[in-house]
Amino acid sequence: MNTGNDTNHTDIFQIRGLAKDYQMGEVIVSALRGVSLSIRAGEFLVILGPSGSGKSTLLNIIGGLDSPTRGEVFFRDSDLAGYSEARRTRYRRQHIGFVFQFYNLMPNLTAEENVELATEISPDPLPPAKALEMVRLGERRAHFPSQLSGGEQQRVAIARAVAKRPEILLCDEPTGALDISTGKVVLDVLDNINRRFGTTLIVITHNASIGAMADRVVRMMDGQVRNIVENERRQSAEELDW
Amino acid sequence: MTVLHKKLFRSLLRSWAESLAVIMVVLCGTASYICLHSCYLNLALTRDTYYAQNRLADFEIMLERAPANAIFKVEEIPGVRKARARMVKDVNVDIEGVEEPRVGRIISMPVPRRPVMNDVVVMEGRYFEPGVQDEVIVSDSFARLNKLAIGDRLGISVEEKKYSLRIVGYGLSPEYVYMIRTLQEMVPAPERFGILWVPKHFAETALDMKEACNNILGEVDDPKELDAILDRADKVLDGYGVFAKVKQQDQISVRFLGDEIQGLAVNARITPTLFLAIAALILFVLLSRMVRMERTQIGLMKAYGYSDWSVALHYLQYGVILSAAGCLGGFALGQWMADGLIRVYVQLYQFPILESRIYPDVLARSLGIALAFGALGALLASIRAARIQPAESMRPEAPPLGHRVWLERVGPVWRNLGFTWKMIVRNIARNRFRAGLNVFGVAISTGLVIMGFFSLSGMEFWLRFQFQEVQREDVKISFQGERGKKTYYEMARFDHVRRVEPLLEYPFTITSDWRKKDTVVVGLPRGAEMQKLMTFKGKVVPVGESGIVLSDRLARILGVGVGDTIRLKPLMGRVEGEKRAVVRAVAQQFMGTNAYMDINALSRLLNQSFAMNAVLLRIDEDAKESVNREMKDVAGVASVVFNSDAYDSLVKTLAGSSRIMNLVVLLFAGVISFSIIYNVTSVALAERQRELASLRVLGLTTAEVGRVLYHENILLGLIGAAIGLPLGAGICWLLVKAYDTDLYRMPFYIESSAYVKAVLLTLVFVLMANLAVRRKILRLDLVEVLKERE
Ligand SMILES: Nc1ncnc2c1ncn2[C@@H]1O[C@H](COP(=O)(O)OP(=O)(O)OP(=O)(O)O)[C@@H](O)[C@H]1O
Ligand SMILES: [Mg+2]
Repeated sequence: MNTGNDTNHTDIFQIRGLAKDYQMGEVIVSALRGVSLSIRAGEFLVILGPSGSGKSTLLNIIGGLDSPTRGEVFFRDSDLAGYSEARRTRYRRQHIGFVFQFYNLMPNLTAEENVELATEISPDPLPPAKALEMVRLGERRAHFPSQLSGGEQQRVAIARAVAKRPEILLCDEPTGALDISTGKVVLDVLDNINRRFGTTLIVITHNASIGAMADRVVRMMDGQVRNIVENERRQSAEELDW
Repeated sequence: MTVLHKKLFRSLLRSWAESLAVIMVVLCGTASYICLHSCYLNLALTRDTYYAQNRLADFEIMLERAPANAIFKVEEIPGVRKARARMVKDVNVDIEGVEEPRVGRIISMPVPRRPVMNDVVVMEGRYFEPGVQDEVIVSDSFARLNKLAIGDRLGISVEEKKYSLRIVGYGLSPEYVYMIRTLQEMVPAPERFGILWVPKHFAETALDMKEACNNILGEVDDPKELDAILDRADKVLDGYGVFAKVKQQDQISVRFLGDEIQGLAVNARITPTLFLAIAALILFVLLSRMVRMERTQIGLMKAYGYSDWSVALHYLQYGVILSAAGCLGGFALGQWMADGLIRVYVQLYQFPILESRIYPDVLARSLGIALAFGALGALLASIRAARIQPAESMRPEAPPLGHRVWLERVGPVWRNLGFTWKMIVRNIARNRFRAGLNVFGVAISTGLVIMGFFSLSGMEFWLRFQFQEVQREDVKISFQGERGKKTYYEMARFDHVRRVEPLLEYPFTITSDWRKKDTVVVGLPRGAEMQKLMTFKGKVVPVGESGIVLSDRLARILGVGVGDTIRLKPLMGRVEGEKRAVVRAVAQQFMGTNAYMDINALSRLLNQSFAMNAVLLRIDEDAKESVNREMKDVAGVASVVFNSDAYDSLVKTLAGSSRIMNLVVLLFAGVISFSIIYNVTSVALAERQRELASLRVLGLTTAEVGRVLYHENILLGLIGAAIGLPLGAGICWLLVKAYDTDLYRMPFYIESSAYVKAVLLTLVFVLMANLAVRRKILRLDLVEVLKERE
């Protein structure tokens, strides 16, 4: 296939005809049915869509947690669809940072140690203290998750994700469990990382107003991309009206 | 079925491997309970039935010679129901083609047959025909082992005179379930020693005992009165040379058999309880985890209006259901094993009958105990579940505040620790409870396996100690009656004999204050090399020229120690009065309650300058045959026992019966160990699913994630195994205490190989358990796990 021609050199992902089916006994649930999408290197992409529209499924496939049933997911020149489990693990390790709605911190490790989990396996990581400063938690680094608020825990999770210096940061409803002002702090941190390091940032959210912060907003519906809107200007987290 | 029940069954199905492990442990516990208890009860029942059917006498009086009508005097003693006079005498048996001397015990029987005390059970052939004198019924195993067929003739020599008897049957008797000639022999040797039941008239002629007897049996109204009755009998039989009065419970065979059955009873009490307690522990671990993981669900249930009680009941049901399932399996397995085991025992002891029942009360009790332990294991978890407050449960459980691990402060060490080990150290240090459970589980497993190996090898160690350290002779030759120096020199002159040591074994009543014990005093020559007194650690205890050395057991019975004085009264012969002796030392022994003296000193106690009734020989290698031949011609030899034969025969009988038992115990111990380890490992994994999943998301490979878990488990396993060593020793010590009887006891000596084997086996279990959970790590569905709320 003649992919070379229509690949924009700034595209980090080229997704074409992506489908994911779940076999549930007799029934086949199609979580994704033919998603095509290019993601540009360094952009801030927000994915919106009703519950069950396949957002998480898409993100998980992009992040190498899951593999598609059909279709292609080109990361630069190689197709994730063909990756083995081991290869996907390596891919995650080298390129991907994940942030989930639930922070998934190790309860028995301090904030700094949680970040160390990531830096230990990375060839060129940020120092854990630095990563925590970036999420404005420098002073709290010796605290355990149970001593931190939800927003603070989420920021630790972000610090852990970015400490590996990933090229891509994937966030599945990072503010889903947070109130407005805490949510804004978290988004500000993410925005900052995207601007400072040029990290490609993909954020899933139910909150349409967050779309205003992004370069582009993808709307999904029934396992397909409904439309893509490009913003003229990115708002800061402060400016959002929730 | 309510929704809660559905939840219960789904949970059971989901954690089927862990549930199965609990069921297996309960099953082992119940099965061993039923198997050991029924086997014990059936064996006791069979024995009692056998004793009753053949009228085993309540007492036996051995004397030199009394008129047959002396029994009327005995029958007149109040409390005595009936008495029987008989003749008993050990004689040499000539079997064609057999070089070794064989000893037969002649026992006179009435003709025509009538029911008597200590009757013979004719297994094959027939009883004596009236009017025929030269007939004999031979004890079953003696006949078979010596290939004596019915119809064959058997030669015996009684004090130089030879007789030939025709074998008319094979017999068994409740008096000789254990075929031991004297207490000193300890070792059943059914091919060298047999019982020869003969018609009364033949015995009268051959033993020159017309209208006389040397053995009186009696039946009493109340066995508790036996002491008084026997004291009276001593008086009414005065002048007939009474040398032994034996109560039924002290009769050699009865005692050995009783000890064996007692051992089963002890085992039946300890082992299953241990197993079931462990089942409770595993349940506790499993359910505590379940409650911890289902905190939110429990909170929700309560928020909907389920009461604390119904929630607690829900978790109790897990325990009860798993226990009940294990119990049902245990019923079947236990009953099946009990059935097999009792058959083995009946064959081993040659009972002519088998009384086997199913004991509903044992089944009921095992069910009760298993359910109680199951509920106990579930109870703590249930209480915890009941205490959960709905509101609180919605927040994640606050972990205990962690501290820096001390190791982290040791900068250079910490920095050089790899990532995996840092993780492990933190995991363990900050999650002490979980780590503690893991260590504890492995420790118990190791202890159990040690116990298994210990019971298996304890007997062998005991035998080796006895036959390599204590009894170092090649041959022991016992005589009928005492001999002087002449026989000693005669022995020394035989071909192939390299060394001879005399031995005098004589029964005494030893008294200290009100404490009293009938036992054998053994006279040893100075510098005895072949029969040594030792401590268990192998230190030799010298006999010395004067004074007496007691076996530790005897010292305890008499309540005396070194330096105390005891009184001795011979139980045989015509020596009157009591003698005194000072306790010189106490030697440790696994067998019997003997005492030891210098042979000259012991002879003097019997008013002789030198007496012996046995010699120990060291002979040339491969000289067994010729020594046998030589001994055959020596008059008055009662037995020739080769150490190697005795060892073999003991291994076969004693070790044979306990071996089956102990293999069963070891097997159970193994199953339980693995169950424990598997459960703690998989519980630890389940609790950490989320952690492991987020590590995988970060990009750690399954191998790296696995490494953290495996290394941690192996480290904890090693610690657990180390703790398990003393724990195992403790369990063994308990067993030893429980087994202690007058006749023999288990040495509290655990071979180092048992420790090594136990640790290795435990570590293999740890590896196997890790291998089993590896599957789960590989299959861990990252997306699923992380989608769930914490
Ligand atoms: N493991 C699974 N097995 C079966 N069906 C699944 C599985 N995971 C997701 N699905 C289905 O795939 C569809 C898409 O799920 P997905 O989680 O991607 O939705 P989403 O857009 O992230 O929704 P939400 O906003 O609620 O998180 C849903 O219909 C869901 O039921
Ligand atoms: Mg989702």
